[in-house]
Amino acid sequence: MTDCPRDIDCRTAVQKLWDYLDQELTPERMAEVQSHLDRCAECLPHHDYAHTFLAALSEARERDVRAPDLLRRRVMERLRAAGFSA
Amino acid sequence: MAIDTRSSTPAGGADGQRGEDDGAGRAPPERAPLTDAGTADTGDRLMSGTVAPIGNPSENDLRFEAEALPWIDDVYRFALSLTRDASDADDVVQETYLRAYRSWHTFEPGSDARRWLFTITRNVFLRARERERRLVDLDDGDVEALNTFAAHSQMVRDGTDQILSRIDLGPALQRALDDLDEPFKSAVLLVDLEDQSYEAAAEILGVPIGTVRSRLFRGRRILQDKLLTYARDAGFTTARRDQRGNTND
Repeated sequence: MTDCPRDIDCRTAVQKLWDYLDQELTPERMAEVQSHLDRCAECLPHHDYAHTFLAALSEARERDVRAPDLLRRRVMERLRAAGFSA
Repeated sequence: MAIDTRSSTPAGGADGQRGEDDGAGRAPPERAPLTDAGTADTGDRLMSGTVAPIGNPSENDLRFEAEALPWIDDVYRFALSLTRDASDADDVVQETYLRAYRSWHTFEPGSDARRWLFTITRNVFLRARERERRLVDLDDGDVEALNTFAAHSQMVRDGTDQILSRIDLGPALQRALDDLDEPFKSAVLLVDLEDQSYEAAAEILGVPIGTVRSRLFRGRRILQDKLLTYARDAGFTTARRDQRGNTND
C-alpha cells in the first residue's frame, strides 16, 4: 500500500482534465491527474490552455448587472397581489 | 415573450425541494432586497403609494423576504444571460419570483435558495420559449473532453492556438456565449459563470450529473470553436509551422 498516486496514462488524464480543473474529482483522482501533469510535457499544455480559457470565461460574467428598479417594483407588485405582506 | 402564469410549480414538475445543503450554498447578499440605491428600506416603503401595505407579515413572508428576494440581481443576471433581452428577462424574473412565492412552502429551510431560484428561472425561461426540454444525444463527457483536447493538439500543430492569445477574449467570449444554443448554454452559464457544482447544476437542470458534464464540455468546445472563428473573421492569421518548426505564414 502506498500513498503515491497511481500512474495514469495521457488518455485518462485528458479525459479527466475538465473535471480536474473544476475540482470535481475525488481527492485520489485529483492527485493522479496532478501527478501526471507534473511529469507529462504533452498534457501540461492542454491544462494551461484549458485553465486560461476557464479563467477568461469566468471573467465574462457580467458581475455588475443589477435588476432595474422598475423590475424590482414590478416584482413587488406581483408578490403583493399574490398575498405577500412582508 | 409571453409568460404562462397558470402554473405555480417552481421546477417544471419538480417540487423544487432540495436535500440538505451540501455546503455549496451561499448566504444571501447583504444588501437589502428590492431597494433603490442600497438603502435598507423595506419593500413596503419602496412601494409606498403603489401597493397598499398589508397587515402583519407572516413568518413565511418574512423568510421569503430574507432568503429569496436578496437574490434578485443574480436571478436577473441569469435570466438576462438566457434570454439576451432585457424585456424578456424582466418577464422571466417576475414570473420566477411569483412562482417561488407560491411554492415557498416547499422550500426546505436552510437549503440553497439561489440554486432553487435558478431552477425556477430556467424552467420559466424554457416554458416561455415554448421549448420542450430537448434530449440531445451526446457522447459522454470523457469523449467530449478527449475531442476538446484533440482539437487543441491540432491547433498547436497548425499554430492556430496562438490566435487566441491575440484577441481580446472577454468580448469575444461574451459574443460566443450569446450565440451558444441550449442545452449547452445553461450548463456553461451555471458552472462556469455562476460557480455551481456539477451536482448543483444537475439539480437545477433536472438532469443527471453525467448529462451536465457532457453538455458542459460540449458547450466549452463550441465556445472555443467560435473564438477561433471570430479571430479569423477579425483578420488574425495563423503562423503555420511546418514539421521542422519553421513558420511560413
